[in-house]
Amino acid sequence: MKKTDSKSTEELDKPPFFKSWKSMYWLVLGNLAFLITLFYIITRIYS
Amino acid sequence: MRLLDWIVLLGTLGFIVSYGVWKTRGSKDIEGYLKGDNSMKWWTIGLSIMATQASAITFLSTPGQAYEDGMRFVQFYFGLPIAMVIISITVIPIFYRLKVYTAYEYLESRFDLKTRSLAALLFLVQRGLAAGITIYAPAIILSTILGWNLTATNMLIGILVIIYTVSGGTKAVSVTQKQQMAVMMGGMLVAGFMVVRYLPESVSFGDAVAVAGKMGKMNVVDFSFDWNDRYNFWSGMTGGLFLALSYFGTDQSQVARYLGGKSVGESRLGLLFNGLLKIPMQFIILFIGVMVFVFYQFNQPPLFFNEAAKDKVYATEFAPEMEALEEQHTALFNQKQEAVHGLVAALRTDDGNAIAAAQAEVQGITDASKAVRTEVKSLIAKATPEAETKDTDYVFISFVMKYLPAGLVGLLLAVIFSAAMSSTASELNALASTTVVDIYKRSVKQDKDNFHYLRASRIFTAAWGTLAIIFATYASLLDNLIQAVNIIGSIFYGTILGIFLVAFYVKYIKGHAVFIAALMAEAVVLYCHFYTDIAFLWFNVIGCVAVLVFGAILQFFIGQKDERLYA
Repeated sequence: MKKTDSKSTEELDKPPFFKSWKSMYWLVLGNLAFLITLFYIITRIYS
Repeated sequence: MRLLDWIVLLGTLGFIVSYGVWKTRGSKDIEGYLKGDNSMKWWTIGLSIMATQASAITFLSTPGQAYEDGMRFVQFYFGLPIAMVIISITVIPIFYRLKVYTAYEYLESRFDLKTRSLAALLFLVQRGLAAGITIYAPAIILSTILGWNLTATNMLIGILVIIYTVSGGTKAVSVTQKQQMAVMMGGMLVAGFMVVRYLPESVSFGDAVAVAGKMGKMNVVDFSFDWNDRYNFWSGMTGGLFLALSYFGTDQSQVARYLGGKSVGESRLGLLFNGLLKIPMQFIILFIGVMVFVFYQFNQPPLFFNEAAKDKVYATEFAPEMEALEEQHTALFNQKQEAVHGLVAALRTDDGNAIAAAQAEVQGITDASKAVRTEVKSLIAKATPEAETKDTDYVFISFVMKYLPAGLVGLLLAVIFSAAMSSTASELNALASTTVVDIYKRSVKQDKDNFHYLRASRIFTAAWGTLAIIFATYASLLDNLIQAVNIIGSIFYGTILGIFLVAFYVKYIKGHAVFIAALMAEAVVLYCHFYTDIAFLWFNVIGCVAVLVFGAILQFFIGQKDERLYA
């Protein structure tokens, strides 16, 4: 019973800006990739 | 400190504490006290998570670390966003489904009571020690720089936290952390702006970054692999990931932050918010440290940033030697002025040969200055053996005290106090909830009413706070404060994470096997810490993998034994 309750709560919790949580996760991982690339460029430019 | 600084400092702290007590007055039951009635929105959770992790050590040590070692420390956080995603997908739904108060509660339903109690005890030991350091670290630095009494400073931080944490529990911790985070980031951005503004008029921001780069401070990413290198891409992505998984997935001081969320979605968003902003935040703090380094290329830095320690040498027979070193230091700085301005001019020409020549000249003088500083440290150690000879934790606060105008000094001190209070509050709240839920309520007094456990939670919060103040008062200065906290964390986190990973993902391994495996893994990690040179970030990986491997092997034999018994 508990399981069903929490599952329905979970389904109601749509993320903002995106249709699914998967897109939110990709946003965070994409941001990480972007930052590492940016930091790499900074390191190369200023070394 | 000037009157305006006192007004800003006391006004800020007084407002935060009063707001926390007023906003959460009337916490009447254990659900509200330990889980904030599950009413927290995602931005409160996100800021609370960030404020919990950002202790005063972050704001004192990190700029100093950048001053000494450049930007590479930011790589330590590369695994964090990945950990946020993993926890959002796997851990949060399970904790919500079981409606747990603490992370360790889940371990009993998955394994048994002894594994739950072991994990809770490992957490209490580790976090209990860390809470003392969280108070002590800023207190020792502030008392040295400002001439305040160390015990009084420890008590001021500790008592302010105890007041609102005992009064309002988890909710008070989270609501005050929003204000504290605003003070912290606002104060640091103002400090960053001021340090750039204080650069000579002839030096632009671009020149400053280029000089920092040529002096090896813009070393943000390093892809080379070295087991003994604490901060590179690989250690950040593996050790940093494991540490973040352990810290955010199993450390009650963080778990409590998102367990108070209104729903699974709010908790997830809070964690992902941290995953998006944590690295930029650390980058900014480190960059401010690099700008302080550049500032001191044009303004004479102190010979030793902990000037109180240096002054003590003048009261000994070694005073003439210190005076001679001061003279050398000044002469080298004057010599460096021309060289640094030459480097700026060369960088503007874009002439590779001219840049290389100017860089070599600056580097030569920098090496000579470093040699003088090394002599100073040896002299301090010789003259006052009890003194700490590492001064990087004093770099930023020394700059603040010497150069920032009235009002801003008070604001930056409020940043450090806010950071100390926000981390300590989460720690005390988590220590109390783990003590009450996992030990007291589960194994000591099982059949008491709600009010009894609420009162017990308040008493344990105050008790852990008092213990943290006592520990802070008697702690001696560790080599590097931020690293000390991370090392203590890494010694225990790997094992705790291993237990939780088995719980979540390896259904084959049962309670008895994982319990023995955890004890063996902790022994392996302690051996690595005391008898090997392995960098501490790897302890997270070693402890975690050891639990998984030992657990699987033990389960195999225990399983066979059980089969023989039942055959």
